[in-house]
Amino acid sequence: MSDVPILLEMRSITKEFPGVKALSDVNLVVRAGEIHAIVGENGAGKSTLMKVLSGVYPYGSYDGDIVYKGEVSRFSDIRASERAGIVIIHQELALIPHMSITENIFLGNEPRKNGAIDWKAANRQALELMARVGLREDPDTLIKDIGVGKQQLVEIAKAFAKNVKLLILDEPTAALNEDDSQHLLDLLRGFRERGITSIIISHKLNEIEAIADRITIIRDGHTIETLDVKGDGVDEDRIVRGMVGRELHSRFPDHTSKIGEVFFEVRDWTVRHPISAERLVAKHSNFVVRRGEIVGFAGLMGAGRTELAMSIFGRSYGVYQAGTIVKDGKEIVLKTVADAIANGLAYVSEDRKAIGLNLLDDIKTSTVAAKLSKITHHGVLDQVEEYQAAEAYRQSLRIKTPTVDEGVSKLSGGNQQKVVLAKWMFTDPDLLILDEPTRGIDVGAKYEIYGIIQRLADQGKGVIVISSELPELIGLCDRIYTVSEGTITGEVARQDADPENLMKLMTSTKKMQTR
Amino acid sequence: MSRVKDLQKNLFGGTTSNARQFGMIFTLVAIVVLFQILTDGLTLRSDNLIALFQQNSYILILAIGMLMVIVAGHIDLSVGSIAAFTGILVAKAMAEWNLPWPVGILFGLAIGAVIGAWQGFWVAYIGVPAFIVTLAGMLLFRGGNQFIGNANTIPVPEGFRVIGSGFLPETGPNTGYNNLTLLLGLAGCIAVVWRELQARRTRKEMNAEPIPMWISILRMAVMVGVLIFVTLRFASGRVGTSFPVSGIILVALVLVYSFYTRNTAGGRHIYAVGGNSRAAELSGVKLKRVNFFVMMNMSVLAALAGMIFVARSAASGPQDGNGWELDAIAAVFIGGAAVAGGIGTISGSIVGGLVMAVLNNGLQLMGVGTDRVQIIKGLVLLLAVAIDVYNKSQGRFSIIGSLTRPFRRDTPAAPTPSSGAEREPAKTTVAG
Amino acid sequence: MRKFIGKTVAVGAIAMLALTACGSGRDEGTSGSGSEAKGFPASSLIGVALPAKTSENWVLAGDLFTNGLKEAGFQADVQYAGASTTVADQQAQITAMVTKGAKVIVIGATDAAQLSTQVAAAHQAGAKVIAYDRLIVNSPDVDYYVAFDNFKVGQLQGQALLDGMKAKKPNGPYNIELFSGSPDDNNSKVFFDGAMSVLQPEIDKGTVVVASGQKDIKQTAIQGWKAEGAQARMDQLLTSTYGSKELDGVLSPNDTLARAIITSVKGAGKPVPVVSGQDSEVESVKSIVAGEQYMTINKDTRTLVKQTIEMVKALQAGNTPQVNDTKTYNNGSKVVDTFLLPPVAVTKANAAEAYANDPKLAPLTK
Repeated sequence: MSDVPILLEMRSITKEFPGVKALSDVNLVVRAGEIHAIVGENGAGKSTLMKVLSGVYPYGSYDGDIVYKGEVSRFSDIRASERAGIVIIHQELALIPHMSITENIFLGNEPRKNGAIDWKAANRQALELMARVGLREDPDTLIKDIGVGKQQLVEIAKAFAKNVKLLILDEPTAALNEDDSQHLLDLLRGFRERGITSIIISHKLNEIEAIADRITIIRDGHTIETLDVKGDGVDEDRIVRGMVGRELHSRFPDHTSKIGEVFFEVRDWTVRHPISAERLVAKHSNFVVRRGEIVGFAGLMGAGRTELAMSIFGRSYGVYQAGTIVKDGKEIVLKTVADAIANGLAYVSEDRKAIGLNLLDDIKTSTVAAKLSKITHHGVLDQVEEYQAAEAYRQSLRIKTPTVDEGVSKLSGGNQQKVVLAKWMFTDPDLLILDEPTRGIDVGAKYEIYGIIQRLADQGKGVIVISSELPELIGLCDRIYTVSEGTITGEVARQDADPENLMKLMTSTKKMQTR
Repeated sequence: MSRVKDLQKNLFGGTTSNARQFGMIFTLVAIVVLFQILTDGLTLRSDNLIALFQQNSYILILAIGMLMVIVAGHIDLSVGSIAAFTGILVAKAMAEWNLPWPVGILFGLAIGAVIGAWQGFWVAYIGVPAFIVTLAGMLLFRGGNQFIGNANTIPVPEGFRVIGSGFLPETGPNTGYNNLTLLLGLAGCIAVVWRELQARRTRKEMNAEPIPMWISILRMAVMVGVLIFVTLRFASGRVGTSFPVSGIILVALVLVYSFYTRNTAGGRHIYAVGGNSRAAELSGVKLKRVNFFVMMNMSVLAALAGMIFVARSAASGPQDGNGWELDAIAAVFIGGAAVAGGIGTISGSIVGGLVMAVLNNGLQLMGVGTDRVQIIKGLVLLLAVAIDVYNKSQGRFSIIGSLTRPFRRDTPAAPTPSSGAEREPAKTTVAG
Repeated sequence: MRKFIGKTVAVGAIAMLALTACGSGRDEGTSGSGSEAKGFPASSLIGVALPAKTSENWVLAGDLFTNGLKEAGFQADVQYAGASTTVADQQAQITAMVTKGAKVIVIGATDAAQLSTQVAAAHQAGAKVIAYDRLIVNSPDVDYYVAFDNFKVGQLQGQALLDGMKAKKPNGPYNIELFSGSPDDNNSKVFFDGAMSVLQPEIDKGTVVVASGQKDIKQTAIQGWKAEGAQARMDQLLTSTYGSKELDGVLSPNDTLARAIITSVKGAGKPVPVVSGQDSEVESVKSIVAGEQYMTINKDTRTLVKQTIEMVKALQAGNTPQVNDTKTYNNGSKVVDTFLLPPVAVTKANAAEAYANDPKLAPLTK
């Protein structure tokens, strides 16, 4: 094996962001002609590593060396890496929906004749490239008119148009169905036979196991190990152990839940994608929440956790198809967010800057924004009550700010998250859905937010926590549901939860057997 | 804390709305004083002040509605055409059906409401961008004006003209002033003092750091001083003139709408929608209803503005309303509103409008031709907004920014250091 | 708190006193008619408010007023309305002139029916109002009107049209089209009526035919006297009516529109018909000399401005200005004393003679 030439070697790559070491001393060796998988939890550092490789983070902004084809490379931007034949295909496809396949393949790389685009040549070359990736379509078809699987193939054809030597695919099958995924994997095998090297980042461990020659596992910005699939007899369990292998520290406040009876139940919840009518983002999901209980929703990116939560929260995502919500024994219909708030639901979004807060507002305005009626008397906002409410939360949640007149945009992530929590606590909810409540927050603030969540549960409220960090769910939740492809695939009690069994359920596609 | 710091904090960076208003009046006064000197005292003469209000009340009324439209993240290009359309309909209705003039006014407001409902429907419920809807409206209602009026100029009855060119009557003892104007001024002074005391009490209730007493007094003294000065000016015009009726309508609307935008849930929702519509929606704000309301409200105010202009001109003509939308939009932006929405105040827009009005008037008094007046106004608009934007980007003290607190958009803070600085490329971005 | 209120009241009171002390007593306003005989100082301000600069004539009139009034010893404030917000601009300009204390305000109205409030204010402030070229309507506060005899203008246009067509083609019937000016300009109707007083008998006889059938002033009006409006209308007429027919003449109320009409006809590849005009604009005089436009009216702006300044001088001296028509011009509120000047029809034949005294136009006729 070792006589196979090495195409790429990344040597002790270290990349720091202000306050965070995203990559620390990472090593990666990719041999010519192999399929090399990179796996790791969300946030482990895979994407950062690929951004370093492709020049998104230019030479000089990281430490360490990239040795490509035996030379130290100094890519200043993506174009530089593409010129060298390194092409990255992101999970979010970079295609223009209203342009044709040909136009997309040659976007920014158009064949020219006398200064004008030579469409004849372009179409001819496009057909050749499409044949290489097994795409049978009219090259004049618009991208929006072909399925995601074929779009993925167009992206790969586009990479070939750039004369790719090293193809990097980031979660290539995340959005694909079984057939399209299989086709793509076959294609990658075909490339291997023709000597093209690929790096694949994926959460789908069964696919990795099936296709990869070698696997590099990254955790917390460190290289853990590189496994040789055939030589080391690797299976899924082995990979999972490598991915989640860290110990759980006492990162959580001590807490014993006082769990009451079931008060919130979702049955057969089915929702379709807001635009593409045939895609279901939630499929016959069933779950329950008890008073005083913290329930976790585990799932990989794209599993449909956020979509599920938002569709329940006043149908703020997708198109409702079927399903009922029962609260306190009565069926409730929540057609709008206002209905949901009125019925005691609160949803703290995963993206507090984009959809959770109005960054133009100050703290007190944000705090009361979701329930102005509470401080309105005879049609007039009572600004004293507003101030006092905000001030009370500032103290109880320990929001670090001189006054509640401060703009929320000036706060740190952790303090902004506390303001969002305050905003929803102000609505007196019975059920709080917290979507990635600790995303982008430092360890200290996380601990505080865990404490707040536990206090909310102790008040008899139900809390749903959606998180991509398994240790967080295991440490915080009384019960964890796993979600995959819009379906609840499993339910694990706290004492039974460990990363391995969760990861298995999260990567499974079988619907949980309803009790 | 030094007194200067005290002053800066409480007058400019202060958190009460009073501080904001005080800063605004200060800005305007500087411009007035400049022209007072340049025109040898004509600017502040009673007759000129009265004319200034009569000439601009309709634009300022439009600015109120436009502010709310722009804060909600939209724009309305059709206000001039709606004003002209309403004007001709009302004039015709009064001339041909012998409608009494008060009914005529109600009729005009009803037309505004219907047009507003039409435009609001397209913007809020169908989702056509307001720019397009109102561009269409601009053509539609301009054409409607010509269709109905045959491009004729139609006079309106004497009674109707009161809302555009009328004055308060002369009553009571001969004081050498218009007594009703004096009463209005007195009411204004009392209101200012009462509000300041109220604000102090509120801060006390909130347990917030009180504003130093001397600043409160200074602020009140200046405001009361300005009010007294203005009152006496308006009251001492030629016999038969006073603070104009159109000015009273304007002041009443400013008070009502300022209160609405600041102190009611409906007003908050407009800012929320403009600041971050998705966040507003997820906070239970009914987006469609808010968008419908701001568009409809704008048309009602445009109808009112159109009627006031017609009343002042004594007739509805085919040129009515030409270019008004631009004046109103300019006023709102000079007054510190953000193009992207979410930021701006009614009082800021009024000051913005008054800055333009005083500029126009002062230059005319100096005998500068319209061509050059337009050039100067264009440059002032550009500079006013540019200086504000530049200062904000430099993190320096910004007059307009300080005036529009607490709704200003800060330069985005440096990305919060986070353990997740390397996230997977934006995952399942929830569409919408 | 009490101390603080006390202070405020004190400050307020001091301010009030200070202002009252320097405030002057209220002006009762001088009514226009009472002080007629007195006149005013020769260096007084005279305001001239003209419409937007849409035609050469207004620009010329402005320059003539500025110079003429200065020569006579007055201070002149000559203003044009802006391009888009015409009426509002003119209203504000007149008000500003009143504020500045103008003794006489000469107004070439943008919209003759929308100035009554400002004219009333001017009158109350003691200023005399002279309506220049366009009669301000529905206002009792207009003192004088000075203009060319516009009905006569129309008659001359109509007559010239008939003469021109006869010269080209001795026998009818003649196909003609009618154009009229902006509907918000009082004069448009007067021109049109004057022309129709000559043309209607011929139309009734059948020697002249309005082939499109558009004879109503609402159909013939061109909003804002805009050239593009006339050109568009002519384009449409040519398409709809003159596919095979021949167009012999077009009644155009002024030169700007006449040239637009000719441009349209030429664009359609048709022979240029007999087209009337008015205002003696440079381009049209050139066109007449070149044999395209048939006629224009010489309403010498110089004469009109000169006459207006004479009126201002008479008012300054305390005399009653000379008028020659005290019956015809009822503006809806009163009959306005008027001085009418006679217009002159100009064709290629008499161009040299008619413009002999005009430094700009005379060279064009040689």
